[in-house]
Amino acid sequence: MSTATNGWHLDEELARRYAENRVPGMLATSVEQHLASCPACRALLRPAVPTARLAAVWAEVLERVEAPQVGVLERLLRRAGLDEPTARLVAVTPLLRTSWLAGTTLVLVLALLAAETGAQAVALFLVLAPMLPVAGVALTFGPAADPAHEIVAGTPYSPVRLLAVRTLVVVSSTFLPAGMAAALLPVDVGLALAWLLPALTLTVGTLALSTQLTPHVAASTLGIGWVSVVLYGVARHDPFLAAAPVVQLACLAGLALAAAVLLFRSHDLAEILRRIP
Amino acid sequence: MTTTTIHATGLVKAYGRQRALDGLDLATGTGVTGLLGPNGAGKTTLLRILATVLAPDAGDLEVLGQDPFTAEGRRWIRHRLGYLPQDAGFHRGFTAFEAVDYVAVLKEHTETRFRHDEVRRVLGLVGLGDVAGKKVRALSGGMRQRLGLAQALLGRPELLVLDEPTVGLDPEQRMRFRDLVSEAGHGRTVVLSTHQTEDVAAVCSSVVVVNRGRVLFTGGVDELARQATGRVWVDTGRDPRALAAWRLGADRYHHIGEPPAGAHLVEPSVEDAYLLLVGPQSEASDGELRKREPA
Repeated sequence: MSTATNGWHLDEELARRYAENRVPGMLATSVEQHLASCPACRALLRPAVPTARLAAVWAEVLERVEAPQVGVLERLLRRAGLDEPTARLVAVTPLLRTSWLAGTTLVLVLALLAAETGAQAVALFLVLAPMLPVAGVALTFGPAADPAHEIVAGTPYSPVRLLAVRTLVVVSSTFLPAGMAAALLPVDVGLALAWLLPALTLTVGTLALSTQLTPHVAASTLGIGWVSVVLYGVARHDPFLAAAPVVQLACLAGLALAAAVLLFRSHDLAEILRRIP
Repeated sequence: MTTTTIHATGLVKAYGRQRALDGLDLATGTGVTGLLGPNGAGKTTLLRILATVLAPDAGDLEVLGQDPFTAEGRRWIRHRLGYLPQDAGFHRGFTAFEAVDYVAVLKEHTETRFRHDEVRRVLGLVGLGDVAGKKVRALSGGMRQRLGLAQALLGRPELLVLDEPTVGLDPEQRMRFRDLVSEAGHGRTVVLSTHQTEDVAAVCSSVVVVNRGRVLFTGGVDELARQATGRVWVDTGRDPRALAAWRLGADRYHHIGEPPAGAHLVEPSVEDAYLLLVGPQSEASDGELRKREPA
């Protein structure tokens, strides 16, 4: 509008310099104000605008605004050396929050119980703590774990790798609170750590057994087995049987066996995972 | 010129005693192929097998020239596949962007910036660019359906398998979807299932009619419609001898079946031919016909 700008208009030279960002501040402000209301000058400016650069700038703006927020966990995983896609996959594993919640609940319940009853709380802890990651791993399969499960099944990402990533998530998010709970127990360190080896064995064992059975059956079988061992101890007035050297050694042997099975039969596991839907 | 990209012979898949696929044969190529059939005809089972997420009990299958029954073949196909399942779910706490980005990671788009650009591109294609930051739980049913379609379009797949893609879309979105799919079918393979014969007539270059786990018809859309030539007529009253009849407007009834002498024959549609093929005794067409009864 010429009234607003005293009849002043851009010439080609000024348009080009403006487009190349070579106009000093005050003059640039005047040019901007004028452009807002003068179609003729906008038309003059148009051919001088570097559209590719502007598109790149706009794409960058969108990327900053829309790209998913990188959370604390994802940043930690990246810093630990995990590649971006895998770190992303771990951070967005839908089960993460549930398993973390379950683990934390266990901590709170046991902390409360420990304050009240002592030895019984320890026995209960030895039953429950190793079962937590096993339940998590079993739930990692199928629609319960991920509503996009059917879509995921049609992607090229290796199901075994995906299972490994998710197991890592579940195990770390249940082991951490279980460890915290162990620290709260009114017993010596050896007894408080007695859950660790059975937990590892049952988790890896569930994966290994999943090469033969469906993961839910595998987890249930091992879970029932473990509860039976602890109950047998309770029946013989030995609530800490699970912490006995013989049980711990048996767990170690089981862990080695399960790891070996997993190493040699991962192809079968991929097939089982494929048949689940 | 279409080239054959899917070749299936004798596919069998049973769930208990129920045979979802009963020796199904199928050969289709580039372009858009529509699967038509009543509920329980085996469409979803067939699409899941084509999408490599389900293995048949018996039969041979070649997809994009590869064997989906080998691990390498499956991986090869999945790298070139876009799949929209019937009940495409997403974690409700994800944003629309995160939901598609999650699938993009699993499709092994490893370079972050390229992946994000691709996510934005497909969200834009389905008209969800403006709600990229909204949580899935806040999206409408139609928007979620389009989100499912967006993830299927990631990486411009050579093979698109879409199970009931137009469910939940309003008429305008359906038009937009037809444009999208027609474009996706240029030089690539799209297989979609639908209940809507109008969808088939609008976008499909070929049509496959499935019922009780078998293929009843394969061919062009016009070819299917022509099957009903001479078996569709309009009359002022309802003719009880017709296979099916429904009211068109004031005292005019559309009939399919064997016409009486001197009947006023009309040009058949894809729907007429489909109903003649599948028969009104089947579950879906029965419901369809009942719905059309005058009140």
